[in-house]
Order: sequence, then structure tokens, then C-alpha cells
Amino acid sequence: MASCRTVEFFYAAIPLRPFRDLLIRTHSERCEHCRARLASREEAKSLFVGTRDMGSVDDLWGRIADRTIGERAAPVRLEAGHRAGLRWATAAVMALVVAAAGFWLLDRVERAVPVAEFAAADDGFRLEYVHVGGAPAQTFVFQPLGSDTVYVWAQRAP
Amino acid sequence: MEGGNERRMDEQEIIAACLRGSPGSCRRLVDAYGGLVMATAVNILGNRQDAEDVWQETFLQVFRNLERYDPSRSFKTWLLAIAYRRSVDMIRKKRRFKAFASRAAFEQAPAVSGGNPHPGGPGPLPSALLRKLNPRERTALCLWANEGYTARDISGVLECSASTARVYLFNARRKIKALLENDHGILQNG
Repeated sequence: MASCRTVEFFYAAIPLRPFRDLLIRTHSERCEHCRARLASREEAKSLFVGTRDMGSVDDLWGRIADRTIGERAAPVRLEAGHRAGLRWATAAVMALVVAAAGFWLLDRVERAVPVAEFAAADDGFRLEYVHVGGAPAQTFVFQPLGSDTVYVWAQRAP
Repeated sequence: MEGGNERRMDEQEIIAACLRGSPGSCRRLVDAYGGLVMATAVNILGNRQDAEDVWQETFLQVFRNLERYDPSRSFKTWLLAIAYRRSVDMIRKKRRFKAFASRAAFEQAPAVSGGNPHPGGPGPLPSALLRKLNPRERTALCLWANEGYTARDISGVLECSASTARVYLFNARRKIKALLENDHGILQNG
């Protein structure tokens, strides 16, 4: 018991993970008194949902099937040399695209085009398109219950 | 042991078929691991709607980066590491949104402080006690309890050392035991 208190004191006093790991391995995992203060696997398991509780993933598969199959349908196998060349070409094209997008954005900012277009509906809120940096953005619309306030959170699509 | 090896061989064949562009194999991979990824995401995030988004992002990332998977490592651990990273990204995104909502000079809405206003579709959710753990501790405990992972296996998912994973797991088990005993005491004392 005294050694348990000493270990607990050092565990709390020195927040270094390798040192704490040493205390766990040399004392806490071996001492019955300390182990009794840890949740067992069964106790922990009862708090989590299990794989079997999740049911079928058919709906979720439907959401990604097209994109997965489309991307994987025609795999391109290239030699290492071709890959390097392709990487350089991609980098060059990307640099050109970034430069062009930069000029275009500057031009847009000067013209002060509104970023979001709202279409007022009779009975609620509707958002047609939200663009960030000239590209369609990832948008979250959130309305608290019992409130007329609508929060719109938009960020660049990943 | 032989069963495990056969399963691993089968898994490697499915992955190879996915790399060749076989839609059926992609589906088999999702069937085999979809529930695991979903359960892990629900356990980390605590709500189903966000977990479904994480599930979707995880599998898209898996299929896009399947070439990078190292067959000498466990596919399950690689997949769970991606699911964990996507879940942590989701938690950060929600935190940023909450910070934005609290800064906004709009009227106070009770639903904002109450967590996710749309807890998602029907389905079981993990215990509210788990909210007392940070995401790393929650993930370590979930993998240990549900998948029988050791500290070394957990370190592969959390991308940290085995020592660190052991400390996360130990802290999680200790906190949960204290919380369970506290709950029990409250029930006993009325």
C-alpha cells in the first residue's frame, strides 16, 4: 500500500510518458491493489458500441460506390521514369493553374463579387451556392431549435 | 494461427484486386471493415451523423491511397489509423465551428451549447461517461476493449510510441473505473 502511494505520487508529479510507462509496467500492472482501480475489459466494453451494433453499411456504400469505382475502374500502371516525368508535368501544370487562379482572384476581389447568393423563400431559408476563393465551398447550415437565426459556416472544400 | 494466415492471404488478394480496379473487391473490403470503421468513429465522436461523414472520408482516402499501403503491416491497423485521423479532424472542425458560433454576436441559442443538434439517425451510441476522456484515451480504450488491441497495436493507430499508448490506456481505464464507481455510489445512495 505504501509503495502504491509512492508510485502514485511520482506518477502525478512527473508527467513524462516514458517514466509513467515504466511505473505502469513495473508496478501498476503487477500490483493487485492498483489493478483493482482500473476498469476491466468487460466494464470498458459495456460503454462502447460494437461492430455488430452497426448493422448494414449498404447505404453508406451507396454514397461512395460511384466515386470509388470511377477512380479505380481504369488503373494506370506507369514505369518509374514515366512517373517522374508525369510528376514534373503535373507540378508545372499546377504552378500555371495556381498563377492563373491568383490573377483571376485578384481581378474578382477588385470587382467585389458577393460570395454567397441567397434566395429568399416564403417559408424558410435557402442557400443556392456558396463559393470560397471562386470554388464551390463546403457549407454547413445550422438553425438552433426555436430560433430564427441561421448560421452558415463555409470553408474551402478539401 | 492458420486461420489468421489464410484470412490475411485472402485480404491481400482482395486488396490486390482493388488495386486492379475490381468494384466487387472494393465492396468486399467495405463489407469486411465497414462496421468496424463505423463503430470506431461512433465511439470516438459520440454521434452517428459525424461518424457517417468520417466513415465516408475514411474509405475514400483508403481507396485513393491503397497503393501506399504496406502489406507487411496490418491492414486493419492502417485503416483504423486513417479513421482515427479523420475523426480527430472532425472534432477540430466542430471545435472551430463552436468557437465561431460563440464569437458571433447573434442571440444565444440553447441548442448550440448542447452539443450536436442533429445526433444522427437511429442506432446505439456510446456511454456519456466517455466524454470525460480525451479522444486519444477514448480511442485507446475502445481498441483495447472492442478489438483486444495491445499498447503496441494501439500505438500503430494513434501513431505514437507504445509507451505513450500504454499511458493513454492506463489513464483511460483509471478514469473510467473512478467514474463507474462514482455512478454506482450515486445510485446506491439515491
